[in-house]
Amino acid sequence: MGATASQLGKDVLSEYQELTFLTKQEILLAHKRFTELQSRDSRGNLNPRVPTETILTLPELKSNPFRDRICRVFSTSESKDGLTFEDFLDLLSAFSDSATLEIKSHYAFRIFDFDDDGTLDENDLKKLVNCLTGETDDTRLTPDEMTQLIRNILEESDIDKDGTVNLSEFQHVISRSPDFVSSFKIVL
Amino acid sequence: MTHYSNGAFYNPAYHDSETLELDRRSPRKPHHSNPYAQEEPAWQAGRANVFPTVTGQWGHSDDSAWRVPWEGGQEEESRWGRERLPTGHLPTHPQSPPWQQAAPTNMTMRWRGMRRMSMFVNGEPTHLSITEDAIRNELEQEEQNLVKDLVACSTKDRIQGIKELPMSYEEKKHIRSQVLAFKSSKKSRHLSCFADCSDNVSLSFRRCGSSMASTRQTLELWQGTMKEIGGRFGTSVLSYFLFLKSLFMLNIFSFLINFGFITIPMLAYNQIPQNVTFRGLELLTGAGYFNYTVMYYGSYGSDIIKGLLDYNMQLAYFFTIAAYMVLCGASIIYSMASSFKTNYVLSDPVAGGSWQLLCSWDFSVTNEKAVRQRKNNLRVQLKETLSEKTQGEGLTTAERMKHFGVQLGAWFISTSLAVGCGSAIYFLSQYEQRQTTDTDNWSLLQEAETLLVPFVVSLINLVVPLFYSLFNKFELYSNQRRQIYALIFRNVLLKMSILGILCYYWMKEVATKFSCWESMVGQALYRLVIVDFFFLMLGSFFGEFLSNVIGTRWLPRLGVPEFDVARNVLDLIYAQTLAWIGIYFSPLLPVIQIIKFFILFYLKKVSLMQNCQPPRRVGRAAQMRTIFIALLFFPSFVGSLSMMAYTFWSLTPSKHCGPFQGLNNTFSIVGLWVTDLEGISTASWVVWIYQNVIRSEIFYFLVTIIILFITFIFWQVTQGRKLLILLLRQQIINEGKDKTFLLEKLQTLQKSQPNNKSKTQIKQSKRRSDGSSSGVRSNSNAMVQTFLAGQQDSRGNYFCDVPVPSDISTSYQRIPIASDRQSSSNALALARQRAEVQDYRTPSTLASPLVQVMQARQDYERQADAMDDGSSSMSNIMMQVMEARMRAEEGYGVQGRPVATESSVPARSSALIQAMLARQQSQNEYDDGY
Repeated sequence: MGATASQLGKDVLSEYQELTFLTKQEILLAHKRFTELQSRDSRGNLNPRVPTETILTLPELKSNPFRDRICRVFSTSESKDGLTFEDFLDLLSAFSDSATLEIKSHYAFRIFDFDDDGTLDENDLKKLVNCLTGETDDTRLTPDEMTQLIRNILEESDIDKDGTVNLSEFQHVISRSPDFVSSFKIVL
Repeated sequence: MTHYSNGAFYNPAYHDSETLELDRRSPRKPHHSNPYAQEEPAWQAGRANVFPTVTGQWGHSDDSAWRVPWEGGQEEESRWGRERLPTGHLPTHPQSPPWQQAAPTNMTMRWRGMRRMSMFVNGEPTHLSITEDAIRNELEQEEQNLVKDLVACSTKDRIQGIKELPMSYEEKKHIRSQVLAFKSSKKSRHLSCFADCSDNVSLSFRRCGSSMASTRQTLELWQGTMKEIGGRFGTSVLSYFLFLKSLFMLNIFSFLINFGFITIPMLAYNQIPQNVTFRGLELLTGAGYFNYTVMYYGSYGSDIIKGLLDYNMQLAYFFTIAAYMVLCGASIIYSMASSFKTNYVLSDPVAGGSWQLLCSWDFSVTNEKAVRQRKNNLRVQLKETLSEKTQGEGLTTAERMKHFGVQLGAWFISTSLAVGCGSAIYFLSQYEQRQTTDTDNWSLLQEAETLLVPFVVSLINLVVPLFYSLFNKFELYSNQRRQIYALIFRNVLLKMSILGILCYYWMKEVATKFSCWESMVGQALYRLVIVDFFFLMLGSFFGEFLSNVIGTRWLPRLGVPEFDVARNVLDLIYAQTLAWIGIYFSPLLPVIQIIKFFILFYLKKVSLMQNCQPPRRVGRAAQMRTIFIALLFFPSFVGSLSMMAYTFWSLTPSKHCGPFQGLNNTFSIVGLWVTDLEGISTASWVVWIYQNVIRSEIFYFLVTIIILFITFIFWQVTQGRKLLILLLRQQIINEGKDKTFLLEKLQTLQKSQPNNKSKTQIKQSKRRSDGSSSGVRSNSNAMVQTFLAGQQDSRGNYFCDVPVPSDISTSYQRIPIASDRQSSSNALALARQRAEVQDYRTPSTLASPLVQVMQARQDYERQADAMDDGSSSMSNIMMQVMEARMRAEEGYGVQGRPVATESSVPARSSALIQAMLARQQSQNEYDDGY
């Protein structure tokens, strides 16, 4: 722990603290874990990008059904592959305990928006449900159930009846499901 | 798609409006009241055939290739758009990160305005140099505004505000550096010592706060264990352990203050008689040796301890207990109220929502097996909700009566069981009381006999709930939540009736019979706590281990048990109630409680890990948590508080032991203290408070009146808000219907024959609007201009199809809900429509993005309406029109067919500019009129 603290530097650390919802301990722990990941790859450049596959070896993310989406949403690179340490901090910050509902729901929306088009349409919802129930054929819902479910979802949340769920509608729904805040959480 | 596209038919506004003119013209005027029903097939046909891309766009987004340049409709999209678009077209300069959703509560208004600008970030075609520059300027302007806003905030708000920007770290860093630069430049201009000092102070406070937070995190108890449990069993099981932990902390706190203020001063003066020996059984019974230690009320003296400072034991005892109860109450009320607010008031009244299931996915679950299991469970649950929805309430009256009868019977049995247990305990206690005598030295047998009552009580607590849970098999509650609530209520009833009976017995019988009755009650409570602990262990053996063995070895049908959060939490609540009741009679009872909870934590953890599987049902964990806190407050805390209050005010303390010997009641110590204080001039306020507040009826009368009054006002406010929410919801739905309606109109337009009756139509509409109220008139003027613009535009395209839109416009003027602003925004929709209509002449792939834009515009209008902010809605409108134009032009760029349509581009853009001007004018007029 001490070694990582000296690596990070006080200024950088306080900046990290100021710009994320994480505490000092969490940042240090994140840094430690991140450098461990890094060590398998090149360690040369200043702000190295750890490829998504390596990130996904983290036990906290390994079995998450949304792991690929999470990495994609938080990646700032052009190709959407790999996270820098700062991206990683962003990720942990959004999933931390102290992040606000607005931030959490914003990122949840983006994670659920599989085609990145800014609304949750039928396909996104289908993918979401499949992600949650399992991808294989025998675990999937039948097409009938799926259409029924999606109709229910839209009935519930699509306030302006345009057939998709946009961010504000999503946030409205989220604000009414109290379990979300406690479950949208990843702790290192 | 069909389920919402027909929305317009049900909106009475359309049917009452002038829109019907369209149908009056048509020869096939229908007889029934809904003139649109007939047109439905045509529209649907239009949807299906003429605009396959329009529908395709909503239905299937796989084909995102042509969508790419068109997004920006949603305020939050820009970010993704930026990520998705080829970067060559983008304003890659870092000065223009998009601002959206960045809304700390104090700045929401402003930042919404910013968000609006964000739609341009991605949509900038390179050839639109003027717009691009303008937009870039706008963006920079917006960023400056944001920075200014942030600078204006206090340091804490600023940090929070930057933290809450949903953007990547780099962007946040950029904003922060901008803000800091701005701030330092400002500071250098007018440097004031005060500001500097306050900055420093706040900085050091922040440092201190963050270091406190990190220390707290380091000291966080059982963190790893909690993570492990959460990772395997999810949040609902974790909530039990969190509850256990918070009770543990509460008891540590209570131990600290009791020990610090009561026991330590007493320890020096406490001596144990020589003839009493420690026999071992005391650990169970709490009698004998413990009777002479500081464990119980009886060993505390009433004297004023003389030392460096006089320490009045009576006052210390009274105020410590009172302060502890008040603090406990305050913290429970606080956490209950806040959790109630988030989990009940804000949550959806509709039970079993599909979203609730989808949103309740636990991201903290890390165990591979657990994830698989959760997926399975979720699937089952989703299927259940679906089947429930489709089946509905198909019960016959006979079945319903049967269910009702079974439930009634179950309630009757459970209530009579509770009452029966209560009376059994009472008679048992009386029997025991006849046996015991008020002697100092009991024989071992006598001592062991005292364990009978606690044993029976705990046995009842263990067995009867199991019996209750059997009822669940027979009772067929329509929803699972009610079933759980019924179970909880019965268990609480049982536990509280037992405790109530015991308290009654202590207050009535013990208090009169024994010379040092407080210690006797303390001992009884000690025994209850200890025996309860053993039974909790037994409970987890029977409840979890045995059923695991049964489930895995003998009856695989039953399966591995789940951890019953409700039952376990109720046990905890019961244990805590005992501790609260006992705190007066045995100030060190929290020690026992701490040890008990500590062991229990590990015991339950091991039992959970070894025996249980993750819960089959997800969701509702937060609401259950609220219920548990509420239960901890209502029967448990309030009950023990009232018992304590009764003891303080009405019971005579023992004559020969304890701190309050010789007083009529415990509370009179305060009176004595105040009479002492009367001589001291500096303490006159205490006397005044005592006489005018504590002892005066008029004070309580006034307070009650005021509280009632405030409650009434808040109730009224709540009612008003409910109504407002309904209205707003209705409005959103109406807006959505407007949108659908316009879209449908567009599609019929596409099908209908172009005709040239436009002039007369416009005149008609002009006349009509002149006749209407002034506010509407100013808007409608602008609207007419919009039409003219549109018309000219269509002429440019050799196309004239104005009449139908003008009908729409007039209809909008008559829509009763329309405020002035709304009608102007409707005019805007029309302007857009004009632009779009022309585009329908050109390839239909162009049209569909425009429809999308329009759709998105509707969202903006809604926001603008909600904002009630005139100036910004104007800029909004401008932006929208500009964007519509951009869309149109960029569409051509993307299509790569400038040759065919080039001639119409100038005409279109000029028309659009005109439309824009018209918008502006309408806004101006609206503002003037306002």
